[in-house]
Amino acid sequence: MTRREFMDEMGSLLSELPDKERLDILADYTEHFLMGIQEGKNEHEIAEALGSPKLLARELLAGYRINQAQSNASVGNMTRAIVATVSLGFFNLIFVLGPFLALIGVLISCYCVAVTLLAAPLGMVVQYGIPTVSQERLFLLFGSLASVGLGGMLIIGLLRLTRWMYRQFLRYLQFNVQMIRGK
Amino acid sequence: MQFKKGVLELCVLVLTAKRDRYGYELVASISEKFHIAEGTVYPLLRRLTQDGYFTTYLMESQEGPPRKYYRLTKQGREYMNDLVLEWRIFDRGVNQIIGEGLGYDET
Repeated sequence: MTRREFMDEMGSLLSELPDKERLDILADYTEHFLMGIQEGKNEHEIAEALGSPKLLARELLAGYRINQAQSNASVGNMTRAIVATVSLGFFNLIFVLGPFLALIGVLISCYCVAVTLLAAPLGMVVQYGIPTVSQERLFLLFGSLASVGLGGMLIIGLLRLTRWMYRQFLRYLQFNVQMIRGK
Repeated sequence: MQFKKGVLELCVLVLTAKRDRYGYELVASISEKFHIAEGTVYPLLRRLTQDGYFTTYLMESQEGPPRKYYRLTKQGREYMNDLVLEWRIFDRGVNQIIGEGLGYDET
C-alpha cells in the first residue's frame, strides 16, 4: 500500500468525523510517512508497519465517540459510543453490550419501583375512593406521605446513580478500546 | 498479544517523562523493543491528549516536516506514576509465579 492509498482509505473511513478531527488525524499519519521516508524507508514498508487502516479507523472512531459521549451526555451519544466500541470485535459484543444491557435492566426496574411508590396513594384513592372513617383517612394520609417520600428519595438517588453509571460505563468503554485487540 | 496495548499507554507516558517527544519518535522507540501495529500509537496519543494527560504543539524541524510534540501535563505525570506502580506490582507477582511454577527457588 502506498502512502496515497493509505491516506485515501483512512480519509474515507473517517468521513463521518468532523473535518477538523479528521484532518488532524490524517496530519499525524502524513507526518509519520514523511519522517519514515526521510529515514530511507519506502512507503510500502511504512504502511505495512502502521497496520490496517480499517482497524485503525475503527479504533479512532470509537475513541472519538466515547469522547463525545463524555463531553456531551446523551442517550444518542452513549449509543453511538457503544456501537463504535462493539464494532471493534466480537469480544466487545459480549463484554460491552452484555454488562450494559444488564445495568440498564437493573436501572429500569429501580425506576419502576420508584414510580410505583409515587403513584401508590393515587392508585389507592382511585380504587377505593377517599375513606369516610377518620382513622382510615389518617392511615391513608400517613401511608401516602411515607410512600411518596420514599419514592421521591429513590428517584433522586437513582438520577445521581444514573449519572455516575454513565460516566463509569464510558470509562469501561475506554478501557475496552484500549485493552482489546492489542496487536 | 492481548495485554500489549495496555502496556503501550505506560510506555508512551514514561518516554515523555524527561522530555517532550514527537509521534514518530515514540513509535520508533517502542517498536524497536517489541512488535506493534505502529499506527495504534496515534489513537492512543489522541486519547491521552483528550484526557488531559498531554498537551501538544507543532515545531518546525531542520529536516523534514514540522513535528507534533507531546508534553506530559501534571495530571499526566500523576497518572504515569500510578501506572508505573501498578506495573511494578504486576511484574513482581508474575515473576514470582513464574519462578515458583518453573521451580527456580531462591532457597
